[in-house]
Amino acid sequence: MNKIHKINKTPPPIATLNSKNLLSIEGMNKLEINSILDRADYFADLDPLKIIKTLNGYVILNVFFENSTRTRVSFELAGRRLGAEVINISVDKSSIKKGESLLDTANTLSAMKPNLLIVRHPESGAPKLFSDYLNCSIVNAGDGRHEHPTQALLDALTIRRRLGRIEGLKIAICGDILNSRVARSNIHLLTTLGVEVRCIAPPTLMPKSLENLGVNCFNSLKDGINNVNAIMLLRLQSERMSGTESPSKREYYRFYGLDEEKLSMAHHDAVIMHPGPMNRGVEIASSLADNEDRSLIKTQVEIGVAIRMATIEAVYNAQK
Amino acid sequence: MHKNNNPILLKNIRVIDASQNLDQEMNIIVNNGIISYFENSKKNIPFNEKDFRSINCKDKILSPGIFDLRVYLNETNNENVSILKNAAVKSGVLKMGILPFQKPLLDNPIMIEHLIEKTNFNNDKFFYPYGGATKELKGNEIAELGLMAEVGAIGFTDAPNCIQDSLVMRRVMSYAKMLEKPILQNPEDKSLAGLTASNSTTIQGEMNEGEVSTRLGLVGIPSCAEVMIVERDLRLAELTGVHYHVSNVSTKETVEVIKRAKLNGIKITCDTSPPYFSLNELELSTYDTSFKLSPPLRNEEDRIAIQNAIFDNTIDVITSDHKPMSNDTKILPFTSASTGASGIETLLPLTLNLLNKLDVSIMNILKKITLNPSKLLKVEIPKIKSNEKANFIIFDPNEQYLINKNSLQTSPTPFHGRPVQGKNYMSMMNGEIVFDNLDLL
Repeated sequence: MNKIHKINKTPPPIATLNSKNLLSIEGMNKLEINSILDRADYFADLDPLKIIKTLNGYVILNVFFENSTRTRVSFELAGRRLGAEVINISVDKSSIKKGESLLDTANTLSAMKPNLLIVRHPESGAPKLFSDYLNCSIVNAGDGRHEHPTQALLDALTIRRRLGRIEGLKIAICGDILNSRVARSNIHLLTTLGVEVRCIAPPTLMPKSLENLGVNCFNSLKDGINNVNAIMLLRLQSERMSGTESPSKREYYRFYGLDEEKLSMAHHDAVIMHPGPMNRGVEIASSLADNEDRSLIKTQVEIGVAIRMATIEAVYNAQK
Repeated sequence: MHKNNNPILLKNIRVIDASQNLDQEMNIIVNNGIISYFENSKKNIPFNEKDFRSINCKDKILSPGIFDLRVYLNETNNENVSILKNAAVKSGVLKMGILPFQKPLLDNPIMIEHLIEKTNFNNDKFFYPYGGATKELKGNEIAELGLMAEVGAIGFTDAPNCIQDSLVMRRVMSYAKMLEKPILQNPEDKSLAGLTASNSTTIQGEMNEGEVSTRLGLVGIPSCAEVMIVERDLRLAELTGVHYHVSNVSTKETVEVIKRAKLNGIKITCDTSPPYFSLNELELSTYDTSFKLSPPLRNEEDRIAIQNAIFDNTIDVITSDHKPMSNDTKILPFTSASTGASGIETLLPLTLNLLNKLDVSIMNILKKITLNPSKLLKVEIPKIKSNEKANFIIFDPNEQYLINKNSLQTSPTPFHGRPVQGKNYMSMMNGEIVFDNLDLL
């Protein structure tokens, strides 16, 4: 792997956020985004044993209303590396349905006086609701179809470390954009950083007026990835693959699954990304997913912890 | 509620009664609930003012009470009935159509009868129930329309549900035609208004489809889901000859289709409510669930089209579409939150706000909340004239203030903090004072 990357001599400062919450990439400016990327870049190269545990006594609740192993573990690890206490609470949807309202749950958690709530919820806007009623900071770990800010940040840093820059690149986002929070966060982040963003999806999975977000939209993968530097693939839920949004798995793979042939339309050293978990043989050919020269899928996971450390630290700093 | 028993003398009050095409400054005396004196204000009053509770009502308006075409009671219990009555009389609403969607549903004659008995007020009818058009409002089988009409149902509707099946709609319409009652439809093609996955779970649409829904990651409802149903229904209305009424018109396309149908002589009327001529989809950008309404708030172009349709009389009636919701069902993430908002208390000022936006007479605007709904439902509203029982409201059309959710009796309001003008000061029903703030004038 040819990393174009140097370890900074003086560590970059703690990232600056204009709010004590991180609810969405939409609304963040270039400075805020870059400050998180710079700080996370520094953390990514640091020996975890050498990190100064600056957040001793800081209490983080990981409140996940939706199953997720990778994001939860990533946040947990990030918090612990900074010295914070991280408590995982997986809130079973059925217990919510038993009667306790979301706000009651939130207030109960709030009474334990946490400093930060990391919230994942199946409904768009749920972290915003928490932030409206609770005093502690809220970090959105994915809400419905809305946003997944830390995923977009880690994607950006992964690209920057590999390709050396972000501004001026051409990046394609391909797949179920309609239902994807990862796509929305990436669109906002990449357009803010000056990337030419191309969104590729079958018409049934393309949200209305997407071009108003400053992207170019394509129904054809081959046209869309022409000369791009990176391709971000999105997961297609299996229930959307049998006659609703897409006629069948094999038809989807034929037109939107990334394989060697389609990849040849992209820039000669274009990289491939996927937020996981992947459907091999649907969104991506299995051989491509394992091709370490092209696929950054594993790196994305590694960088995730560093991004979440920088985020937690920035939120902590913004609270002061 | 009686401030005192003296006869009331209302001096220099502007009386607007569209049913008589009357707009004049008058002096009025109300004695024992009867309008005993009713003369032009230029005439000298042939009585001693000291014998009266005399109020100078210069620039204030006296009009028949508001007839709110569509209101949800939610449940026929004493508490709900009393909250709704109080909120209504305070806001100048003296008659209202009660939609069948409540607990228990008004889809059978017993419930209609029960509601009418329960809500009899001042020996005058205050609540006018609609009957459900189909059993359980499910859109499958015709409800007992004849029996419900017999005990007082004023029309039929499945609101907030839309009758999806064309054959059911045809049958309901032909039945309603026989009974000479209107059929009200909340038009929305259900299958188009959400997302259906292959395991046949449907995710309901949450807001208007467009850039805002894309940004927020909420499930969009395309605006054509409304007009498609109206276009189908118009064919069936022609076929059956029924009086077809479209509730809550919210899109530009629907306005155009209705306008054309009216020109073609089809028996069609329609209404809208204040959110659709006052607000647009951008309000949802903070996920504030008080803006979660059905139909959803549309874009600015639609809002302007609705406003203009009020002006050119394509839209006949403005209604509150009052659907109060408790915080328990509203302070939730957007998807889980219930749909609907209160409206009865803000209907008058928001309607009067149109006077600032449109070149339209106040009488023409008042018609849409008084005379037109009563004509549509064939419910006589009392005239304002000498020797009639006092049945009117008195409001200040110029008083400016901000709507405050904390001073309303029902919630939630999508209009908190919005500047409006126009406030009700007195409501008289069937000769009785039911709300009186005249001393504050």
